[in-house]
Amino acid sequence: MERFIADLVKQFEGGAVDRREFCQTVALAAAVYAAGDAANAQPGTGFKVLGVNHLSYSCPDYTKARDFYTSVFGLENAPGKDTGKRTNLMFGPPPGKGGSFLVARNATPSDRPAARAVVDHICLTLSNWNEERVRGTMKAKGHEISGGRDGSLHVLDPFNYDVQFANIVEEDAFRRGQ
Amino acid sequence: MEGFVAQKLNEFATGKISRRRLIETLTLAATSAYAAGSASAQSESPLKAQLINHVSYTCPNFKEAADWYSKVFNLEQVGPTARDVALPFGKKGEQPYGVSAKDVPLTHLIIRTPNPNAPPPRGGERPRPAPQAVIDHIGYTIADFNRDRAKAALTAMGVKNLREAGRYSLHMDDPFGYDVQISGLEANALSDG
Repeated sequence: MERFIADLVKQFEGGAVDRREFCQTVALAAAVYAAGDAANAQPGTGFKVLGVNHLSYSCPDYTKARDFYTSVFGLENAPGKDTGKRTNLMFGPPPGKGGSFLVARNATPSDRPAARAVVDHICLTLSNWNEERVRGTMKAKGHEISGGRDGSLHVLDPFNYDVQFANIVEEDAFRRGQ
Repeated sequence: MEGFVAQKLNEFATGKISRRRLIETLTLAATSAYAAGSASAQSESPLKAQLINHVSYTCPNFKEAADWYSKVFNLEQVGPTARDVALPFGKKGEQPYGVSAKDVPLTHLIIRTPNPNAPPPRGGERPRPAPQAVIDHIGYTIADFNRDRAKAALTAMGVKNLREAGRYSLHMDDPFGYDVQISGLEANALSDG
């Protein structure tokens, strides 16, 4: 706790947190500490990420995205979640057990300042990769491979968003540079 | 299959891939060749996404962003280059949460900075069309998520623009104003929206 407070003071002195935030933080940290879960209040330890919960995908017509991702990559339209303006497309483990979903939604105006970062593409892992089958399936569905190499391919979705799909051999963080 | 094996062998012989990579590639190809048949027979969609492999995130300063994601999500940085670095959601050898298939790697972020000196597209190359879609935010599933505890911890880390989003979720801004959401397993495709 001492180190935590010292770090917080340092942030305060440097202007990283204002007085109000400083006070709130100390109070909250004290409450957490009293509850016996001090580890969660330690700065720098961070959270344990289990996975991507969802990707929020905003486009001119969510139905086109829905149809593409369900037919090409086998995502499942979550029952009861298709509102006519958005839907949840599930994949991976079951919901609540580590599964992910893509929220396909019609774009709406936002008052948020524009971010200076962008997610320029996503990559999906396909299990039981078979090069001929993967390429053949894409061709049969009328989708042109837009780039990549064996085991790691790209396709543009209906809104020209870059989607990569790959196997574990070609796309594994721990094999980078090998 | 034979053609594929020959191609990989050739790559090994010419030094394009290592011995270890050759073995891994061929092992996977050999084991998936049979599994693929049974998998496609059982599934309506011949291809089925198992998990997010990676998210490619581009920003003005990849080191600053990577340090932020490392701090907030306790992520290791691996394979750094002059322009990017990967942040896997776990340690080497770990299995992705909830996944039983052995050929699905840990999800990771690839955080990049554009290369200002990149050569222009070569003659004849088609310029990539501008996307009309955007991933406007990403939600991450956190172990043992508790909104109030999370809020305290994030505030202590100096995370900006924290916003509550119901009982089971928080939004925040990363260093480049990108919208990041965290929640627990309770927030899922069947409960959200």
